[in-house]
Amino acid sequence: MAELTYLEAISDGLRTEMRRDESVFCLGEDIGAFGGAFKVTAGFAEEFGPERVLDMPLAENAIIGAATGAAIEGMRPVCEMQFADFIACGFDQLVNVAAKLHYRQGVAVPMVVRLPSGGGFSGGPFHSQNPEAWFLQAPGLKVVAPATAADAKGLLASAIRDPNPVCFLEHKGLYRHVRGEVPEGEHTVPIGEARVAREGGEMSVIAYGSAVPLALAAAEALGEDIEVLDLRTLWPLDREAILASARKTGKVLIAHEGTAACGVGAEVAALIGAEAFEHLDAPVRRLTAPDVPIPFSPPLEAAVLPQLDDMKEACRELLAY
Amino acid sequence: MSSSPTEVKEAAGAVMIAMPQMGISVAEGTIVEWRKRPGDWVDADEPICDVSTDKVDVEIPSPAAGRLARIVVEPGETVAVGTVLAELEAGMDGGDAAEPGEADRSRVYSPIVRRMAADQHVDLEQVEGHGVGGRVRKADLLNFLEEEKKEPQLHTESPYKPDLESNREPMSPMRRQIARHMVESRRTAAHCTTVAEVDFTKVAARRCELREGMERRGAHLTYLAFVARATAAALGRHPILNASVEGEEIVHHEEVNLGIAVALEDGLIVPVIRDAQRLSLEGMAAAIGDVATRAREKRLTPDEVQGGTFTITNPGQFGTVLATPIINQPQVGILDLEAVVKRPVVVEREGEDLVAIRSMSNLCLSFDHRALDGAEAARFLGELREELERGGRD
Repeated sequence: MAELTYLEAISDGLRTEMRRDESVFCLGEDIGAFGGAFKVTAGFAEEFGPERVLDMPLAENAIIGAATGAAIEGMRPVCEMQFADFIACGFDQLVNVAAKLHYRQGVAVPMVVRLPSGGGFSGGPFHSQNPEAWFLQAPGLKVVAPATAADAKGLLASAIRDPNPVCFLEHKGLYRHVRGEVPEGEHTVPIGEARVAREGGEMSVIAYGSAVPLALAAAEALGEDIEVLDLRTLWPLDREAILASARKTGKVLIAHEGTAACGVGAEVAALIGAEAFEHLDAPVRRLTAPDVPIPFSPPLEAAVLPQLDDMKEACRELLAY
Repeated sequence: MSSSPTEVKEAAGAVMIAMPQMGISVAEGTIVEWRKRPGDWVDADEPICDVSTDKVDVEIPSPAAGRLARIVVEPGETVAVGTVLAELEAGMDGGDAAEPGEADRSRVYSPIVRRMAADQHVDLEQVEGHGVGGRVRKADLLNFLEEEKKEPQLHTESPYKPDLESNREPMSPMRRQIARHMVESRRTAAHCTTVAEVDFTKVAARRCELREGMERRGAHLTYLAFVARATAAALGRHPILNASVEGEEIVHHEEVNLGIAVALEDGLIVPVIRDAQRLSLEGMAAAIGDVATRAREKRLTPDEVQGGTFTITNPGQFGTVLATPIINQPQVGILDLEAVVKRPVVVEREGEDLVAIRSMSNLCLSFDHRALDGAEAARFLGELREELERGGRD
């Protein structure tokens, strides 16, 4: 075990898979000579050479399209979007081509799209978004969003080995703020399995990404019997884990940094409403960003993104209900 | 009839409805009935509940238009003037639904609570809710079930199930007053009871002798009258027992104002015979008969139940033989006459001990040990005994 930051764990996972499997390669903007905008691939060009660490033009559709073609041919490409927001430019290749190839032609597309997401650093509306819900509307894609360093490494490895296109959401706010013990060498975390981050009986916070540490901090600060379920995979959802926690506590708060409307929380709430209704002791509540773009202004951004106090208040309200 | 305007306090949009002042002498009122439920729309001046006082019953009009958010005082509860009875969400449009979290939600149940209650055969009305608006949460139901487990389940099939709740009723105003008074006396005085065994044989003989004549003149001669007559006289010789304790002072009273405890159907009242030391035996018998009759007919005036300096109680008429009465504050003593019963007792006749059948009774004196000591109380009781054993006085 080594203690790594979330960012180092992603690098470690990618490096380990590239060493393990020669068909794994990465491509993106400034990832080679520059080592990537956030330095995830720093030193990769030196170790793996320019043929496995491809610097691409500023054309996300070309990056995703090239990766899709390579995946069809049996390679395992890992694309880096410099910011998750830019996936919009590669959307057609992702949702219309990569996601549907297996359905249309029975062809596997084993590729990964890494998506540095999230706000909290005054990045404004083009560099702070949490676009994960977009992908849930494109059947054929898998979506993961780790919250810990170990899960970041393990889920990236699983995403690379998965025969489907996988969107890998890595929250920029966690990059250097989250660190933890990470198994050395090969390490995988199964896609589709949530994790009970904190056991509790009075209410559940179902969260992922940056909302997980927020929920844990709120639970500790309140000193209440709160369960925190870290989804880890957003599609396919771990239905059993979600329903087990909802049935256990009867009170569920779903928390994420992404906006509310038709978000991951809406899907989780619908699942609970449909399958755990008889166990509910309170309405299912959501703590999310409001349905607005992310502002540049630090005070406005703090007002939009869920903060620790918001999480505590939401928990208190639900506990008192 | 309508009361004077209800006191209104504005607090963050909510209007508090308080128990109004309904007259100078009225200090409290009892909610009889709520005409509105939480969540109901109420127009300004529309009667919202009925209140009863010891004098009159009144309707309480709503001080404003709005939605009744919360009832604070339930029917049957008595509260002081000025106490908040209910909370009104003022000025909201009559068509709107009540704000969630504001209204009474104590009888709105979540799916899990309904299901658990059905599984465990719980009457949810019995479960106290601690959630928003009094909601019964799953945790509240679990606590309730936990508590129930501690108490052994009553055999529900049996028709003889002691249903403790079925006899619950609020105390009557008289009951409440007696309760307050008795507890207050117990807390205030250093109660001590001393008992003398008294031979009433001569009193019994004199009673037989005088009874008929007095009856004709309208006085009903009882043992109590003999005891009261003797007590009024003895109190003159023992002023410490015809006194009151006020703080650290003892107040002596010139007159003997003798309180006579009269049992009523639903309580007890103590009319006072003034200047009792001036009454003859027949006068005493007549006075006791008069106040007892009027007490039972509820025809006593307020003045007739105040200002006593000593009290006599007579539960012996029901056959009891011993009691430790509670002093009627602020007096220092209360004398209790028990049943007069025939007993074999040893009597001395011409230097010889004989067993004879005598009419015996116990006089029990509770006194306030703050004001006097046991010896003085015993002397008083001893003199009383001697006088009664001689047949009392006219």
